[in-house]
Amino acid sequence: INVCTQRSTRYLSAISAARGLHKSALDVVERPAPEETVTSSFGRFIQSVQPRHLSPTVLQRSKRMVLDSIGVGLLGSTTDVFELALQHCQHMYAPDDVSFVYGRQGVKLSPTLAAFVNGVAAHSMDFDDTWHPATHPSGAVLPALLAISDMFHNNSKPSGLDFLTAFNVGIEIQGWLMRFSNEAHNIPKRFHPPSVVGTMGSAAACARLLSLDRNQCSNALAIAASLAGAPMANAATQSKPLHIGNASRLGLEAALLASRGLEASPLVLDAVPGVAGFSAFYEDYAPNPIASLEEHEHSFLIETQDIAFKRFPAHLGMHWIADAATVVHKTLVGLKGGSVSPNLVQEILLRVPLSKYINRPFPETEHQARHSFQFNACTALLDGEVTVQSFHTEALQRPELLALLSRVRVEHPHDNPANFNIMYGEVEVTLVSGDVLRGRCDTFYGHWRNPLSQESLQKKFRSNAGAVLSNERVERLIEAVEGLDHLDDCKPLLAQLQ
Amino acid sequence: MPLGSFTESFGAAVSCLSTSHLTDEVIRRSKRMILDTLGVGLLGTSTPVFNTVLQCSQQALENSKVWGRPGLSLPPQYAAFVNGVAVHSMDFDDTWHPATHPSGAVLPAVLALAETLPVKPSGLELLLAFSVGIEVQGRLLRFSKEAHNIPKRFHPPAVVGVMGSAAATAKLLGLPAAQSIAALAIACSSAGAPMANAATQTKPLHMGNAARGGLEATQLALLGLEGNAQILDLESGFGAFYPDYVPHPLAEVTPTSRYRWVLEDQNIAQKRFPAHLGMHWVADAAIEARAKFLDKCPNADLSQIKKITLRVPTSRYVDCPLPVSEHQARHSFQFNCCTALLDGEVTVESFSKSQMIRSALKEMLLKVQLENPQDNHSSFEKMYCEIAVETTQGEMFTARCNTFYGHWRKPLSHVDLVRKFRANASTVLSAEVVEGIIYTVDHLDTNQDCSMLWSYMHFNKHMMDRNERRSSALA
Repeated sequence: INVCTQRSTRYLSAISAARGLHKSALDVVERPAPEETVTSSFGRFIQSVQPRHLSPTVLQRSKRMVLDSIGVGLLGSTTDVFELALQHCQHMYAPDDVSFVYGRQGVKLSPTLAAFVNGVAAHSMDFDDTWHPATHPSGAVLPALLAISDMFHNNSKPSGLDFLTAFNVGIEIQGWLMRFSNEAHNIPKRFHPPSVVGTMGSAAACARLLSLDRNQCSNALAIAASLAGAPMANAATQSKPLHIGNASRLGLEAALLASRGLEASPLVLDAVPGVAGFSAFYEDYAPNPIASLEEHEHSFLIETQDIAFKRFPAHLGMHWIADAATVVHKTLVGLKGGSVSPNLVQEILLRVPLSKYINRPFPETEHQARHSFQFNACTALLDGEVTVQSFHTEALQRPELLALLSRVRVEHPHDNPANFNIMYGEVEVTLVSGDVLRGRCDTFYGHWRNPLSQESLQKKFRSNAGAVLSNERVERLIEAVEGLDHLDDCKPLLAQLQ
Repeated sequence: MPLGSFTESFGAAVSCLSTSHLTDEVIRRSKRMILDTLGVGLLGTSTPVFNTVLQCSQQALENSKVWGRPGLSLPPQYAAFVNGVAVHSMDFDDTWHPATHPSGAVLPAVLALAETLPVKPSGLELLLAFSVGIEVQGRLLRFSKEAHNIPKRFHPPAVVGVMGSAAATAKLLGLPAAQSIAALAIACSSAGAPMANAATQTKPLHMGNAARGGLEATQLALLGLEGNAQILDLESGFGAFYPDYVPHPLAEVTPTSRYRWVLEDQNIAQKRFPAHLGMHWVADAAIEARAKFLDKCPNADLSQIKKITLRVPTSRYVDCPLPVSEHQARHSFQFNCCTALLDGEVTVESFSKSQMIRSALKEMLLKVQLENPQDNHSSFEKMYCEIAVETTQGEMFTARCNTFYGHWRKPLSHVDLVRKFRANASTVLSAEVVEGIIYTVDHLDTNQDCSMLWSYMHFNKHMMDRNERRSSALA
């Protein structure tokens, strides 16, 4: 017997079991709903939301997110951490599994591990999208959904709309959960948000794509809660990308376990005094149920709160300071362009929010550099821009850069809170001549208040995806995502990634 | 102290501890823990939750044996996962102070990993790795006062268990200090599961995931993955799981120095029946009250009981007046009290469906009232249980249990521990194999080759080896 077929059959029986259950649930007269908890309202929402609930804005924005996420994933497949995670999984599992791996044509892994490595790829360079309240929502959701899609038989792949619905459920759940806490609105200090809400979002999205019934959806969330939560200390290290990889993988696992009947706490999202559920991850937790789709018009959060796409691979906070520093750079080089000489600079003052993990005067690794106000300001001051190449080893060690870094001072004005919706970045350069040049950025290009144009987004995608795919595939991917809501099945999308 | 030194001290300790540091007492106690854990694990392979996770985990390339499933192997972290689930599936595994279930997070990972090594570790090396895994958990728990109480927020095995598993597997591989630190850091990002899933079918997965996550962390560290090298020092690191986190460095370990293990100063509790530890005080008190009642009125009918008052510590997740599932029953003061009153004991069988739906039990449950006296602290070190049984005749029978039999202050005798193991293991293994495991664990510290240990765990008297079945089908 062909081993590959055996394995596919095993995965498929999980899906057909789930779908079979769903069908029989429709046949049975529904019992009256028990008194509704926050948790069960979530389960119900995940199960009952349909493509028709997706508005045009939601469709448009989510397609942009899908495109960007694939692109950063493909680029991320060139990183060391990705290679490491991949080797790890390949050592552990057979080479002829079913789900694709970014940037490794012909290589397949089991769906959960594919979700894991592709998630790692997505976050490997901190190039993936960021939302408000703060998290990186797409990287946790998309890899899992793509991995599941590979599981389906060729004749029963989900339609583009089904895919988009599941994707949006995953994003939506994350947005809802973050709104249960005021603390979540600020730059995180304790738990890394993708590892908290990302896991839940992945579970929700997968439950939706697998057509689980509402109880199973609630259980998927509850099981996922026990897999959530990674401390902030691993941000700015090589382990950070694993937070997204694990969020994706574990959310998928939670959904698969739920589809097999595993049960967990029916009150995991509710606030029960003396027994923490999802509330364990927050100091201030006040949940609300999601209103029933039958009784209310559901407005997806992405509709009113757009997302930020990054122009260069670094923590979101860096984008403000880079744009502010670029203003000063342009003033310095004037019309002739070129680079700035450090000899001109006496002192550099940065006015940024207070956030320990992105305040690094002398970063030593690329991971630290992506989380350093000082590094990004000086790079932008020197070069007029921050790019993928700015974080390569040679760039990190440039003497001109180190010279500038040693002249940086940082201030934390009271009116500059650690909040991606309110913060600003200011660069003040005192020249040797005595002149003082200033640059300020309130909203960087790519922020949700000033979103990337479709051209800019596609340009970023071409640059990223083009690092590992042929031009032809790159263009086909753009086409497939653009027309996702019209595809009868998502094979055109998957085919370019295999 | 300079930044990073607590974490450094852990990394150093984990890599420097050697077999020469194992004391007799530590060896003795860890062998008891290993025996008990294997037994509850075997028993647990018959549960639905174990079957669920097993189905979920099956992959093609197989390396480590699944307990109780002859012929079935999984990649080591998944073997650690399912076997870890088995250990905690019925809440029958050991409990420590400060509160956690330490062995279930460590043993499955260590055995699964040992099996894959080209050169198998000796029994003593296995014991060392196991002890390191327990030690790290004990040390970490002492960094927080809150950890000394019955947990409310995060389930301790998910917090310290994964760290213990990482430390133990790092030790087994002989990783240098820096890589041990990396393993701890990576593991920390997999730590933490909320209490709300206790008393549900998902709780056992906390243990399985702790074992798996720690092993995976070590594998990733071996491949060169790094995390935050100050992970144990930072509030934003391991401190994220506690509101009052005050870390201390581990003492320096030299080849000739004596090392003071936590396990030496703080023994462990091993359960007599598969339920949350708090239930054991209740059961012992109820059994005593029942004895007094029957002593006074030898032919009494227990339905003559009018009211039962239980004085217990406040703990929301084990206050369950009318449990519906077995998981809830294992976490219900009321259920365990009534079972003990009715039957004079609480056993594995007490949580079966047929026992749970008894009308006599259900009637008695309605008569139970809980009280939470101020002096009854929510801590496994300090709590007690007082029971007051009032009859329709107006008589009152009271009893109090401060320390149940099996608690670390009153540990199970060797005879009783082995008896528990036999009872558990023989549900799945033949008598011959059962005795083989008892012998092997007993001689673990002197045995050069302990690979028969996981081979023994691979039997099941009810099943044919999967490979044998295939070949006999083809024949």
